[in-house]
Amino acid sequence: MNSPPHPPRQALPTHGTTLTPQAFRTLQAMALGGLLVLVLGWFYSPLRIWSNLLVVAYYLVTLALGGALFLALTYVTGAGWHVAFRRIPEAMASLVPKTGIAILVVLALRMNQYGWQLHAGAPEGTDAGTYWFKQLWLDPPFWMARAAIYVLLWSVLALSLVAFSRRQDRLNPQELPRAIGSMKWSVRLSALFLVVYSITFSLASVDWIMALEPMWFSTMWGVYQFAGMIQATLAAIVIVGLLLRRPGRLLYGIFRTDHLHDLGKLLLGFSCFWMYIWFSQFMLIWYTNIPEETSYYIARMHGPWGPVVLVSVLLNWIIPFFVLLPKPCKRSEHVMMKVAVVVLIGRWVDLTVMVFPSTVGKLPVLGIWEISGACCMIGIFGLLFFKALTKSAPAPKNDPYYGESLSYHCS
Amino acid sequence: MAKPLDTKLPTPLREPQIRPPQIRPPLVEGDKSLGDVTRDICKPLEATPTGLWYAALCVSLTALILGVTAVTYQIATGIGTWGLNKTVGWAFDITNFVFWVGIGHAGTLISAVLFLFRQRWRTAVNRSAEAMTLFAVMCAGLFPLIHMGRPWLAFWMAPYPNTRGPLWVNFKSPLLWDVFAISTYLMISAVFWYIGLLPDLATIRDRSLPGLRKKLTGLLCLGWNGSARTWHRYETVYLLLAGLATPLVFSVHSIVSMDFATGVIPGWHTTIFPPYFVAGAIFSGLAMVLTLMLVARKTMRLEQYITPLHIDRMCRLMLAMGSIVGLAYATEFFMAAYSGNPYEQFVFKNRALGPMRWAYWTMVCCNVVIPQLLWFRAVRSKLALVFVLSIVVNIGMWFERFVIIVTSLHRDFLPSSWAHYTPTIVEVATLVGSFGLFFTCFLLFCRVAPVIAMAEVKGVMGFRRPAPERDTQETAA
Repeated sequence: MNSPPHPPRQALPTHGTTLTPQAFRTLQAMALGGLLVLVLGWFYSPLRIWSNLLVVAYYLVTLALGGALFLALTYVTGAGWHVAFRRIPEAMASLVPKTGIAILVVLALRMNQYGWQLHAGAPEGTDAGTYWFKQLWLDPPFWMARAAIYVLLWSVLALSLVAFSRRQDRLNPQELPRAIGSMKWSVRLSALFLVVYSITFSLASVDWIMALEPMWFSTMWGVYQFAGMIQATLAAIVIVGLLLRRPGRLLYGIFRTDHLHDLGKLLLGFSCFWMYIWFSQFMLIWYTNIPEETSYYIARMHGPWGPVVLVSVLLNWIIPFFVLLPKPCKRSEHVMMKVAVVVLIGRWVDLTVMVFPSTVGKLPVLGIWEISGACCMIGIFGLLFFKALTKSAPAPKNDPYYGESLSYHCS
Repeated sequence: MAKPLDTKLPTPLREPQIRPPQIRPPLVEGDKSLGDVTRDICKPLEATPTGLWYAALCVSLTALILGVTAVTYQIATGIGTWGLNKTVGWAFDITNFVFWVGIGHAGTLISAVLFLFRQRWRTAVNRSAEAMTLFAVMCAGLFPLIHMGRPWLAFWMAPYPNTRGPLWVNFKSPLLWDVFAISTYLMISAVFWYIGLLPDLATIRDRSLPGLRKKLTGLLCLGWNGSARTWHRYETVYLLLAGLATPLVFSVHSIVSMDFATGVIPGWHTTIFPPYFVAGAIFSGLAMVLTLMLVARKTMRLEQYITPLHIDRMCRLMLAMGSIVGLAYATEFFMAAYSGNPYEQFVFKNRALGPMRWAYWTMVCCNVVIPQLLWFRAVRSKLALVFVLSIVVNIGMWFERFVIIVTSLHRDFLPSSWAHYTPTIVEVATLVGSFGLFFTCFLLFCRVAPVIAMAEVKGVMGFRRPAPERDTQETAA
């Protein structure tokens, strides 16, 4: 049992590049340009810019948190297949503090958007006494303090997960028992992360997105947010993995086609999960037709937002499901790249549908502000991510499962 | 009774010699050879049953007879023999239905979902978990039939052109979706179970002396010859069926949850119900698998196949599912408070503090509080403690359904119609009878089929040919 793991069959390159200087410059231009347009736009249409900023910041923080979630889930399940490319989710997870601060700033900019006071008390004919909890919960200082606590907890746990993994790199490769011992602590930390995450993220998604319509509620909301988050995280890992496995790049010879295949299976599965959750929430509200609950879907499905909702279903489920069903597609770089991009766009559309109808209004908008928001998001994430990636060795070679990850066979 | 052929092969032929080093702990203990696996697992099938088995069968048959008597009396007399009233129109019967459907879910999870996730430890428990699925779904199916009062008209649930009007079933009703979901589930589970049995049936055929057993197993194993082509086809079919069965893990209990969630009753109508019910179903199913497997491994001497490692893995899964269920309870409470809807708030206050609070707190203790002990390895490794915990979870999950169904109904919108519900002896006897049916079926299953998937266990013992050299960076297909 204590014999060393399978050695990699060929000498692997230890140094590789992440992105070409040209790509770096493009990302910089996107981030700066996007941000500049958004800042200028603030004077023109603050609400619309703020909605864009919220979508961008929420997208970024959930991607970063998704990296930590991927790490935690793989640790607690004792997975070994992903170890070779584990630096990708780790680099994502290390962005939790920065993206967390971004969303805190965005939230602080328009705290009153969530305000109970905007909605003039309890509706006609109801007992105002039943609303005391909502009043308390959406009280701006308490609401903002909670947001800070969520971000703080996520940051501490995500950074610790990353630090534990990087500590492995400093171990002597011959000391398997110590590597296994260090992994045990990662597993414990991951379990703690999962408990904290499941509670705080459900609440955060209610606080930040659902409370944009303070009168509406759905118990499914946290699960719905989790589904979208993990789906987008997988798509992001696929894209980065494919970029970095090109000859001469950081993960050349490390990110295998078997990894791609397994990520494809997970992406297929979680696309279906997203659709399942989306449909369950929609169908139950549609079927019972209770006015307090239908308000959310009436704003989104009757009128010009309707087609946008259909597009989000197309991008998040129909395309990934039908394209990824055959095995060759999940092993094909081109197909997987396209599907992952489609899913990430789908996530953006999905978030837009959640936020915009309750802030900007009845008409879907797609103009320079939205495009700049998306550009800014890609630029910032790309720059931060690739910078984080170079802070550690390209692969966790001292992990006990590293050999397994390089040699397993995915059927 | 056919006796096994004692294969005296020279050692080099008996077992392959290559076992690559492993970091992960072994799944089978006791340094077994492949032949040992066959011998150990076929032993209970080839020997006469023990006294313990007969005793267990007597107890479960007694329970079954009690149930049959109660149901006969109820059908002869009418549903009035139950404790239902105008306010509580659904109670014990539907609770048992949901409980049994839930029990079935661990089987499909272990056999299909964990197969897709390459969880190799599943091989020791998947066969019996799948068998439990079949029996549990059978038990579940009985309750709606009994509730009809005139079960001989059950075929009216099938949608077909008829001479009754024509009178069609109500496609808009989730109760009809249940009929489709559960019958699909039963069929796919049965096919999956049977396909998985094929190589083992062939093993039994090859071990049996000429006689009835050899003929039967020969017929049932569909001419299995163990060739590479047979294995290839078998594995393809198995993978496809696993892919088909996986959505069923979600769909069946989601649809069962919609029986309630499509209603407008506070406490029933809430959007989280589908995934919450699925998690609860897997939770209760795992508890039942643990209860039975802990007994089976002792009485059938399978300790080296169902090891503390397997128990530990199932405990972890159970802890995860239990925590999801706990989170769902908390979410429901939070949303009721947040919604500002007085009816929602009343229902949840009534659950926790009303006249049926004992049922609610039993549920919370059994499903959320006590299972937290499973965080500790010391608890997971004490099998007696795990056994007790698994029974506690079974009780808790039964109460969960009871709480959801009865406490949401018994104090409805009109205080003048508030009522209480107490089950009658007939209802309790029917529940006992369903346990009798379940255990009788399981005991018979232990006698006619290998309780552990031999072929699959052999595949995870670490014997293998050296893998061909693979390029670490292959080109895309």
